Amino acid sequence: MDIKIQRFNIIILILSGSVIAYIAYPFISIFTFVDSSTMIESLTRPQLSNAFILSLISSTISTLLLVFFGIPLAYCLARYTFRGKSILKIIVIFPLVLPPLASGALLLGVFGPSSPLGSSFPSIEFTQSLTGIIIAQTYISSPFMILTSQASFESVDESYEMVARVLGKSEIETFIHVTLPLAKTGLIIGILLTWVRAIGELGATMMMSYNPHTVSIQIFEDNAIGGLRQAMPDIIAVIMLSIIALVVVSTIKKKDQGGIKIGWS
Amino acid sequence: MGGPDLPVVLELVNITKKFPGFTIGPLNLKIADDNILVMIGPTGNGKTTILNLIAGLIKPDSGCIVLDGIDITHQPVESRNIGYSFQKPNLFPYLNVYQNITFGLKKKDKKNKDYQIKNLVENMGISHLINRRIQGLSGGEMQKISLARTLIVEPKIMLMDEPLSNLDDPTKRNLRVEIRNVLKKQKIPCVYVTHFEDDVYALADSVAILRNGRIEITDGLRSLLSYSNNNLSPFLSEILHGGYNYIEGNVVGSKNGITTIRIGSYGIELLGNHSIGSNIGVLIRPEDVILSMEMVKTSARNIIKAKVVNITSNSDTALGVIDIHLRIDYIHLVSKITNESRIHLGIKKGDYVYAMFKATSPQVIREAK
Repeated sequence: MDIKIQRFNIIILILSGSVIAYIAYPFISIFTFVDSSTMIESLTRPQLSNAFILSLISSTISTLLLVFFGIPLAYCLARYTFRGKSILKIIVIFPLVLPPLASGALLLGVFGPSSPLGSSFPSIEFTQSLTGIIIAQTYISSPFMILTSQASFESVDESYEMVARVLGKSEIETFIHVTLPLAKTGLIIGILLTWVRAIGELGATMMMSYNPHTVSIQIFEDNAIGGLRQAMPDIIAVIMLSIIALVVVSTIKKKDQGGIKIGWS
Repeated sequence: MGGPDLPVVLELVNITKKFPGFTIGPLNLKIADDNILVMIGPTGNGKTTILNLIAGLIKPDSGCIVLDGIDITHQPVESRNIGYSFQKPNLFPYLNVYQNITFGLKKKDKKNKDYQIKNLVENMGISHLINRRIQGLSGGEMQKISLARTLIVEPKIMLMDEPLSNLDDPTKRNLRVEIRNVLKKQKIPCVYVTHFEDDVYALADSVAILRNGRIEITDGLRSLLSYSNNNLSPFLSEILHGGYNYIEGNVVGSKNGITTIRIGSYGIELLGNHSIGSNIGVLIRPEDVILSMEMVKTSARNIIKAKVVNITSNSDTALGVIDIHLRIDYIHLVSKITNESRIHLGIKKGDYVYAMFKATSPQVIREAK
């Protein structure tokens, strides 16, 4: 019996270890490409810093848009029962299952210069602009915000909301003073994941707006022109940003598990 | 309900609510001002649904709910001014005790009500917790805070849905006494639902017995307790005389850890010190009541002459146990003895017997100073 359990543990360990090695090894291999003498110079190239700043701005705007529109939709999916809800849930997942290039192509069909929308508003640059980048990033990262927030709202015990209503709070007051604080951890994690996903977005952004370059497009272009050695500083910059976001997410999760809650007020 | 002199604060008129496979009502119920109505019935009989209907958390299919003379059937939950204490205390974990208690108050009211808040938390014995975080509080403390949070908004009526069901027995006993005292002190009527018989004795001024979504009987507690088992259906008999004898009386003496309460022309002794003049209610297990045909010298402190008014079977009859129903002045007392003992003593309906129980037997469940 003991030997059987031991054998099982060894199999689990080998399989888990293989996946971890598969995920982690590319990060370790970075050092084989990094030329430390030119690293600082490469990291401070104007193309990279411009792309980096553009990505930060566009991803922040798309995340804010999703906070404003996506969180209410997530609340709706979590709390209300209505006809067609399951279809709505499938629609929300579309951007996650479609190849990003295909999503980009679909967006071009809606916002491209020859589309009805694009030709109706010729003064607005829907493509090859910051607007185009935001449209692509918002579309691709929307499931991250909506699904995480929905799960977060679903985890809030409705009896807290009932208590607030009975104590004289309106629906909107209950949402602000009870539902949001209780769902806060999940919502913050959703916001961070959405933001990180928007920064990393490439396929749909390329279709909508190859120029100006976001950091992902800069990585793609540097790799195409000068190979991995040229793209590596861009990759390192993105990795650093992702690590910061992940540390924040895991800190929030840890604090929440420890029962430490931070109020909104 | 609850006395003809008191004005009606809440009235349910022909309320119905249909669910798949289950219907509530039609319900007709009146709750008088300052009255605690305990609604008792088995689990799954619609007790919580009735409270949710009154609170406005669900809408009735028909009928109307009148609170303080105003039809509130279609009023939104937040404007009904009804307090609702749920099974779980549901304290907001991101707020401290003070913030939880004052959650239902408007900003300007928090300052105006400073005195009432202090008074209430002192009355409920939770003033030392006021700046504490919720994490780490005991179940009993949380329920008290939850109750204070509901009471501070001065609801017109209080709804309580088995708020003590998750607590241990000693905490339950203490909280029952405190809940009744604080509701009486604040003069807030209450509908309290439960499936525990003890809650009826500890809290009720009046009782509504619920079965299959309908109210089978409503009456004052004393009046219900005076029903003999002959007048009750097996269901009601099981609920009302299922486990305990309940008696109530004024404290006439208390010293050396023994308190005497006056029940009609008798004095009953029990353990503990209580204030003279206070009114207390005690539970006595029918198994603790011993019968004798003649006066005997015994260690039992309580020996009362009683008339046998009935002899009935009970759930233990298959094991040879029966209930002897006794009348002492206006009190109804049940003694559980074996049928063999009854035959041996020759007890029959109409006989006078001596009922005995020790001072350790009565458990205080209600106390009003």
